[in-house]
Amino acid sequence: MKRPWYSFLYVRSPIVKIGLGIASLVLTIVLLLFIGIIEERRMEAQTANWAGREIEKGAELYANNCYNCHGMDGKGLPGVAPALHSKYFFTQRLNDIGWSGSLHDYVALTVAAGRPSRVQSQWAQMMPTWSNRFGGPFRDDQVQAVTAFVLNWEEDAMQQGAADNPDPWQYFEDAPSRAVVGEDGAPVAAVTPEPTGPRPPQELFNVMGCLGCHNLDQPQTPNNRGPVGPNLGNLYETAGTHGEDAATYVHNSIVNPNAYISEGYTAGIMPANFGERMSEEEINSLVEWLLDPNRQR
Amino acid sequence: MAVQPEIEKKSFVQTVLDTADDVFTRITAGIPAGEVRRMIRGEAPGRPNPRLKPHSEAFLLHIKPTYYHESVTKFTHTFRLGLLSTYLFFVETITGLILMIWYAPTPERAYEDMIRLLSNVPFGQFMRDMHRLGAELMVLIVTAHMVRTYLTGSYKAPRQFTWFTGVILLVVTLFLSFSGYLLPWDQLAFWAVTIGTSMAEAVPPAIVGETVNLLARGAPDIGANGLLRFYLLHVLFLPLLLFLFFFVHYYKVVHFGISLPSDEEEVGQDTANKVPADRRVYFLPDVMIDEASFLIGFTALMVLLTAFFFSAPLESIANPQSTPLHTVAPWYFYWLQGLLKIADKMIAGVIVPGVLLVLLAAIPYLDRNPSRRGRDRRVAIISGIVAGIVMIILSWMGTPYYAVQGAPAVEVVQELMPEEGAGHVREAGYQHLPLGVYDTREHPTTDDAKFNHILHEFEASIARFEEQDPSFNNAYGILKITQEQPRLKRITWEIYWLSAEGVEDRFVRTFFLHEDSLYWEQYGLRDFSFLRPPGQE
Ligand code: HEC
Ligand code: HEC
Ligand code: HEM
Repeated sequence: MKRPWYSFLYVRSPIVKIGLGIASLVLTIVLLLFIGIIEERRMEAQTANWAGREIEKGAELYANNCYNCHGMDGKGLPGVAPALHSKYFFTQRLNDIGWSGSLHDYVALTVAAGRPSRVQSQWAQMMPTWSNRFGGPFRDDQVQAVTAFVLNWEEDAMQQGAADNPDPWQYFEDAPSRAVVGEDGAPVAAVTPEPTGPRPPQELFNVMGCLGCHNLDQPQTPNNRGPVGPNLGNLYETAGTHGEDAATYVHNSIVNPNAYISEGYTAGIMPANFGERMSEEEINSLVEWLLDPNRQR
Repeated sequence: MAVQPEIEKKSFVQTVLDTADDVFTRITAGIPAGEVRRMIRGEAPGRPNPRLKPHSEAFLLHIKPTYYHESVTKFTHTFRLGLLSTYLFFVETITGLILMIWYAPTPERAYEDMIRLLSNVPFGQFMRDMHRLGAELMVLIVTAHMVRTYLTGSYKAPRQFTWFTGVILLVVTLFLSFSGYLLPWDQLAFWAVTIGTSMAEAVPPAIVGETVNLLARGAPDIGANGLLRFYLLHVLFLPLLLFLFFFVHYYKVVHFGISLPSDEEEVGQDTANKVPADRRVYFLPDVMIDEASFLIGFTALMVLLTAFFFSAPLESIANPQSTPLHTVAPWYFYWLQGLLKIADKMIAGVIVPGVLLVLLAAIPYLDRNPSRRGRDRRVAIISGIVAGIVMIILSWMGTPYYAVQGAPAVEVVQELMPEEGAGHVREAGYQHLPLGVYDTREHPTTDDAKFNHILHEFEASIARFEEQDPSFNNAYGILKITQEQPRLKRITWEIYWLSAEGVEDRFVRTFFLHEDSLYWEQYGLRDFSFLRPPGQE
């Protein structure tokens, strides 16, 4: 009978078979021992891995949902939302409101429930509710992820306090700080470092907090009104309709917002101190940019 | 048994020896120590053969034949593929039971439980990888077993029913794999199973399809109910079904005997059960040694693969709101996915697989040729090979390489840093992504070789798409890496190009990467970098 070419695969000798079996058994045991020895290290690495991935997920959620109020870098936007990337937040905030739980729980609960109440609020908008348990968009794991991300600022925030790295916190009207004013307690505007040169309008729109109250992409129409401040998507069309030329109108709206109150909005919402916080050159470039129908973000 | 008179009759030592032998014989289910020694020495059994006793005494051995025809014990006749399928089912049961300890089938817990299993349970990752590897090997081996029985013509009379139960076992094996796929509750699982179950929807008439789909998912979309149902299918119903049909299958195998190599009997005859005395190979000890050493060897191979070359994937948690780019089925369903790309759901998802299955089950009745010899079965063997090649081509078409290219810019980023899974950039890791802005037009280079490689690939991949796609011209990319937080980098991919009409367009995609994150590929050498002392590269 002709043997097929692969017949060398067939081992006949029982002794060889037993030998191979024992060798395999030894190999299996050695491998399992090896896995057992590195198991502790592997578990540590995996624990860190999943904590790291959670922060990555949180970063994505923050960038998609929170930055327009709390700022790109978490340092808050004046009048819009408090800083989270702030030494005050990590060291003093819980004392000032008399919170006895952990900061993790404070953040997780605030994010989950939001602050859907308007009593005596100094903020332009309410902190929205995020957890889908209370009608928000996040699942529990997303609330946890964004919390992990916020808490990951701690190391950076603890270095704040120097002249070139001020604490960006804002005074809370509903929970005055018991910290020594002057050291940690100076309001944010007073310690904002002098800008080194004119900042581009895209950056200004972001760091000045305009983003928190105005939508740049949506047009302002009777059926599509910005909830806090008017949408600015069609500003280049509407700005000229107030009896002034468009640039003057927009300039005035920024420097002296209460001079003309857009229909349906109340005075005193839009901060009135932008004239002091930006140079004339910056304001002009911002005006020009806002009125540019093809503006680049 | 009274000990005293016994000792008085024989000597004390003799009594102890006899008792020991008695215990030994009970353990071996009927073979005394002396006979075991003769077995080991390779001496022939006496008559009547004392080595047959365990086959009547022990449950597990009573289903094994007492002897085999010498020709079918050759490894190269069966390749032990049926045995291996059985063993893999056993491995899956054991590892699966262990995994069940740490797993709860609810959307709130399933994914978290996987993470806990990986990071908090000693040997947890090993068990999971082993279970996943076992599942994939089982599909492979069962299919190979089918191919073997097809090529040796073993499905022919009288073994038609053996083949038929085999087909059922194949289907159950595939469903077992598929139902297990959902359980980690990650994006990979969720979308593969969503696509899979949506095929059931195409079953005509609509009311039947919808009902089947609803029954499988437990709701219009997969959620808590669907997960529970798949879990129960996976851990209870399908294993029981497999168990049942395995015994029917195996009973038939033993009943007819394993078919002889076709040259050893006349065409149309079946002499597998008439083994001449001089060609008998007894199960004890020869076949047992063979099978045991083979399975131990296979176990060693599996452990080796699991330890170094295979890591079960775990992507982000399932998110019904966002379909990741390029969702793929498990590889053994690529052929179905390939079919779905060229035909609609009804044809590719229901009619073709249904017809294939019926054809497969009907092979013994369609092939009326009585001969099992290869040279008499040219048509059957060639059609088998053609079917195999068609499957491979369809499988290739099922991969994302075929006909699902998205916009070039999206694909460029997806190649380097996919939405889910690892990709080159994540595998290079945090350490190898120096902060800065890198513009492909300037052909930047850095001190980091790994990063240079990434930049080079970025450039090359943009250039490649530029060549392929007429609406993707003058393209360049900017990669921005900034420090977002302590130990967290923001990686922004920006790609700019001119469309066919010369309009400028751009695509921006942002990812974050943490220093501690480890990303891995399913196949390939495992990353042991965590063994390095921290801070050392
Ligand atoms: C619409 C603007 C807005 C958005 C969007 C927003 N917040 Fe807030 N957030 C606020 C305001 C306003 C407060 C202060 C509420 C108060 O004190 O009454 C606040 C408070 C907080 C606080 C408590 C800070 C403290 O010191 O008490 C945390 C933590 C927080 N937000 C996290 C987040 C996270 C995480 C997100 C994204 C998921 C987010 N916020 C999105 C406006 C917003
Ligand atoms: C705290 C919320 C808030 C912030 C921050 C804010 N605005 Fe406003 N803004 C408003 C409100 C409310 C109005 C409408 C009432 C008014 O006209 O004063 C308004 C009106 C305007 C208008 C007039 C729009 C129109 O269609 O008539 C312009 C232009 C404008 N803001 C620009 C800016 C710019 C630029 C910034 C950032 C430097 C900014 N705003 C920051 C709330 C805000
Ligand atoms: C879970 C899946 C399966 C298990 C556990 C299994 C198990 C076995 C075992 C142990 C044998 C003995 C011979 C050998 O080892 O080759 C066997 C034989 C056989 N199997 Fe399977 N099998 C499975 C699937 C299949 C499939 C999918 C088919 C074909 C569609 C099939 C068809 C056959 C046939 C025809 C034989 C007889 C072979 C002969 O007599 O030479 N089996 N099976």
